[in-house]
Amino acid sequence: MSYGPRAAAADWVIEPKSDSIFARIAEVWQYRRLLGYFATRALQMLYKRSSFGWIWMMVRICAPIGLNSLIFGGVLNVKSTDGTPYFLFLLCGQTPWTLFDQSLLFITRSLERNRKLISKVYFPRLILPVASVSPALLFITILSLVLVATDIYLHQRLGIWYITLEPQLLLAPVAVIISLVFAIAVGFWTSVLQVRYRDIRYGIRYAMPMLMYLTSILWPLSHIKYGWARALVMLNPMESAIELFRYGTLGTPLEISTGVMAAHMVAIGVTAATGIWFFNRVESASVDKI
Amino acid sequence: MSTPKSLIVEGLGKRYWIRRAAEPRRGAMSRLDRIRSFLSIPLAHELLNSKEFWALQGVSFDVEPGTVLGVVGANGAGKTTLLKILARVIAPSTGHVRGRGRVVSLLELGAGFDDEATARENVYMNAALNGIPHDVVQRRFDQIIDFAELQEFVDQPVQFYSSGMYLRLAFSVAINMEPAILLADEILAVGDATFQERCLRKVHELARTTGLTVLFVSHDMEAITRICDRAIWLKDGQLHRDGAADEVISEYQSTVWERLAATSSDDFKGSSHVSKYGEITEVSLLSPDGRPIGSPRRDEDAYIRVRFRTHRARTRVRCSFELHSKGMLVLRSTQTDLQAVGPDRNYQAMVKIPANLLADTGYTVSVGVTLIRGEGEEHALVMNRALSFMVYGDQEIGGLGMSLQRKGLVDPELEWTLKLEEPNVVRT
Repeated sequence: MSYGPRAAAADWVIEPKSDSIFARIAEVWQYRRLLGYFATRALQMLYKRSSFGWIWMMVRICAPIGLNSLIFGGVLNVKSTDGTPYFLFLLCGQTPWTLFDQSLLFITRSLERNRKLISKVYFPRLILPVASVSPALLFITILSLVLVATDIYLHQRLGIWYITLEPQLLLAPVAVIISLVFAIAVGFWTSVLQVRYRDIRYGIRYAMPMLMYLTSILWPLSHIKYGWARALVMLNPMESAIELFRYGTLGTPLEISTGVMAAHMVAIGVTAATGIWFFNRVESASVDKI
Repeated sequence: MSTPKSLIVEGLGKRYWIRRAAEPRRGAMSRLDRIRSFLSIPLAHELLNSKEFWALQGVSFDVEPGTVLGVVGANGAGKTTLLKILARVIAPSTGHVRGRGRVVSLLELGAGFDDEATARENVYMNAALNGIPHDVVQRRFDQIIDFAELQEFVDQPVQFYSSGMYLRLAFSVAINMEPAILLADEILAVGDATFQERCLRKVHELARTTGLTVLFVSHDMEAITRICDRAIWLKDGQLHRDGAADEVISEYQSTVWERLAATSSDDFKGSSHVSKYGEITEVSLLSPDGRPIGSPRRDEDAYIRVRFRTHRARTRVRCSFELHSKGMLVLRSTQTDLQAVGPDRNYQAMVKIPANLLADTGYTVSVGVTLIRGEGEEHALVMNRALSFMVYGDQEIGGLGMSLQRKGLVDPELEWTLKLEEPNVVRT
């Protein structure tokens, strides 16, 4: 079934029905170099044709955090559970969230942006959504640096290291991976739909901040212990990622039960699996309509 | 079959749902509509408002390795759809294609090229797009650049390239990807003659040595006859003819030219090829060995044969023909001597059109047979636009540069001399 890279010996078939998902994933591996190429191109698009590209990027990711910190920490005086300075607390919540939020935005537009290429050249389209997380990866790198800088600054001022250097720190990258996988999983759906319904992007743009308020980013999860509000918060699999990230970096006790976390992981897995299925099914039909 | 085919196409079809006619603001709507009608299950109102259209239907053929297959047909006949399916850019609606080896497509000049990247970056990127392993490209990199003759420009962004340079790079990349099947859509429309020649040579060389199969879509019939062994003719999405390239092209061209045929002169107008005195039964174009052909080569003699039948006795006959091109009378030739013919007999008149007389362009032939009875009683049988044909250029690729230039209605080979005019000085 393999078409391209394995060259000479391999026989291939082109049929009306799309290839199996596994064949497609194997193909992504064969075309893996494209990942790097598309990832680089997505990064280049970020600051192309703007003189202050890098500055805009910093503003784009740091401004919401600064603003939120000012309003919620400064004006509304929200307190973290264990006395961690609010800015640091917020930063640890918003880092995985920004990754999720920005990845999803870039993934959603990935097919639309490469329309011309898709209609001219064959390559496994699955690569596009996956590769387009690169700007978000850059953002999280910057945010991590900000996080470290904040920690050092707080140590200078208060003499406390807030970021723990315990083995649980390893959970932070795990949380990052969870956020990324979830974004890609949702993105499989949204990227294909975006080509057909341009509204998807706008929907996401407005839904994401609302979803953010419903996640324990601006406030500690310990504020909502029971009731429907907590159930609502628990519906979002990103909740696990955020809590894990905070637990890993700040050592904030996990407020979320293992059962709920397992359910979140299953939800992410199901979204990813159905997403790939949907993407694979619709992608071939989408090309001639593009 | 014992020989493995490199490509087997069976019952291939592609259905599109197109909007019914008389849609308001068609131009402005169409893009939005195309995006809207995107899922494989069309929405209800779209289903009601659209009808199916088969861009390709029931196309079957197979190709042996090493074949250069020309694909001809009018615009919208399904040529590009076929290539896009083979390139896996679009999925077929019915049928299937089985193939062997790597497929590299040149569907559009520089598709997948990033204008802001350099040639070097584009080569690697294009390779990745085609799923070519990195080491293969590394090995071939110099070869690619050499073939494209872009040594000095390797590290310049391709947006500063001329269209010729662009083509050279695109072709060179494609041909060096070790393809087993190369899909080329009108790629040779641009580019200078010498590079075209090199491309074609390379294609032939690879076809011979590595068994490269090429599917070559072009409107340039001359190029197809020159480089293709075989041709398929798509008509309204269906396979109309499949055979040796020169035969298919001849047939295709005569159909095309028939439609475009120029008008005849007034002399011949309004007459018929059948009358009570006789009839013209057939007019055909023959090669020197007497084979009916659709189009003559420029460098070969060709014959126009007129078959006719007479009904009356004591008749003398004189044949003539007119050659038109681009709406103008190119020449008229008439038999010089009258010949006596008997009643109810079949005759054939042949006239030789010498090689290297006509230009590489299209001509139509009108034929007249004048029957003369007694003292000057004349009846003319006329077959207007009895034939249309297009003359092919010289066989050698080297002639291509010339054939691209504008020509007159005829292009005879004239004798030229050039010599030094000796000065009128007597040396001592």
